[in-house]
Amino acid sequence: MVETVLEVSGLTVGRQGEPAVENVSFSLAAETDTALVGPNGAGKSTLVQALLGILPRQAGEVRVLGAPLSPGGRLPAAVRAQVAYLPQQVVVKGRFPLTVAEFVALGWEPSGLRLPWSHRTAREAAVQMALARTGCTDLADRLISALSTGQWKRVLLAFCVVWPRKLLVLDEAQAGLDPQAAEQFHSLLFDLRRSEGWAVLQISHDLDMVRRTCDRVICLNRSLRCVGSPDHALSPAQLERLYGRAYVPYHHHHSRAHG
Amino acid sequence: MPTADWLELLQFPFMQRALLAGLFSGGLGGLLGSVAVLRQLSFFSDALGHSALLGISLGVLLGVEPTVVLIPFAVLFALLVGQLVERSRLPSDALLNIVYSSSLAIAVVVLRLVSSRAGSLEQLLFGDILGVSWRDVTLQGVLLLAVLAYLLLTRRSQILVSLDAGLAVSQGVAVAWQRLVFVVVLAVVVALSIKAVGVLLISAFVVIPACAARLLARGFGGYVALASGLGAGCGVLGLLASGLLNLPSGPCVVIVQLLVFLAALLISANPAAAAARARWRGRAG
Repeated sequence: MVETVLEVSGLTVGRQGEPAVENVSFSLAAETDTALVGPNGAGKSTLVQALLGILPRQAGEVRVLGAPLSPGGRLPAAVRAQVAYLPQQVVVKGRFPLTVAEFVALGWEPSGLRLPWSHRTAREAAVQMALARTGCTDLADRLISALSTGQWKRVLLAFCVVWPRKLLVLDEAQAGLDPQAAEQFHSLLFDLRRSEGWAVLQISHDLDMVRRTCDRVICLNRSLRCVGSPDHALSPAQLERLYGRAYVPYHHHHSRAHG
Repeated sequence: MPTADWLELLQFPFMQRALLAGLFSGGLGGLLGSVAVLRQLSFFSDALGHSALLGISLGVLLGVEPTVVLIPFAVLFALLVGQLVERSRLPSDALLNIVYSSSLAIAVVVLRLVSSRAGSLEQLLFGDILGVSWRDVTLQGVLLLAVLAYLLLTRRSQILVSLDAGLAVSQGVAVAWQRLVFVVVLAVVVALSIKAVGVLLISAFVVIPACAARLLARGFGGYVALASGLGAGCGVLGLLASGLLNLPSGPCVVIVQLLVFLAALLISANPAAAAARARWRGRAG
């Protein structure tokens, strides 16, 4: 049986008093790549932030690798270390005296109190490897405040892959990547799933990419609208239900441009 | 200034205490300030400094030695203001302005009404090296070591919280707790440095050396070390100048910090200097 990495049941999350996500249930198995799609304001980021414990939830249960997420958003440290999250945007204000290699090293260290120089050799080797896998080796000595949006995404991915994980949550990770970097990104995700059994949950607006690379799609518009294979969940009828009638012509135009 | 003058001055115990206080409180300000500046807590440290005068006036009002009241007061104040900033719908800079101007106003009025020591107000506002006791210096030294240990052990959490709270939570950092502890530590540092530095300028100790280091440093360890070193150096030089020229200590230190900051600005803006630094790094590496 394939291991269940994430189980969400009856999750409801409010934002400023309004319910942003209502009664959402789904689960993720190891080695799968699941896309979370839906229009702007559908609650996609809210949903992933709530299941990571970043936003508080109003109701429902979240289990990561079998361990329940506490109401305060805490997970056992051993479980937490196996989860990585790539936020939509990290805003660095002003010159931030931290190099890319130092930043990626922060993803390696297990949680808790630790002196900066402990496990140095193992950590540096892991950082080198992560930088190489994400094509960031030449950025190692760059300050994080001097990165472009696309470079930041790759560096954040290096931060995620520097330590062995089971669950990777991506919030529009591909936005801002050039075609070559996007291709490298997908092949790395594929590799992590197949060889290391990672489960990937990614928010995306790029439905062509979702069709090509994901094996499951969750459609969200405050509540779950459909869950299934890309062929089923992204069929014209389902898309019209999710995005409204206006979306469909835009979508056709979009696929022609790429076809 | 003839050399003999300052050598002679160094033999006075008050001057020795003052220099140590400059070294320790300057180092502490730079050390903690390196993180405070990345957290955008500059205004917060300003509010803490101003509120210290409120704590002192409370001590005078109760007839208790001000330093005894100051630390618990500063910690409580920091926690309350931290909550206020977090829960309010107003921007934090405006809110902190209200907090620090009203603290200062209330404190000055109370001190004038209760105490006859009108002359000592200037010393409270701008620092007084004669007011530094051996106990203060010892406490500052112990606090310096404690803050160093605290930052070394929580380095990862400190950086992640400064960068992005969501990313920090996803990595298992208890963000709310880390913020709380940091604010308490900042409050204690401010309360213990206030005598030598003065209420009005204490935030400069936290902000200026850290900003100078932020312009120059390439990596995080270097940044924190440089901020602490600059802070300590400016503290010693400033207090020496204060003793020699018989000027208030806080402003003397801040002027030295300003000169260092301007130098950092010039170095960081100058491509030739940057290239020289890179060459030097290459050789060192």
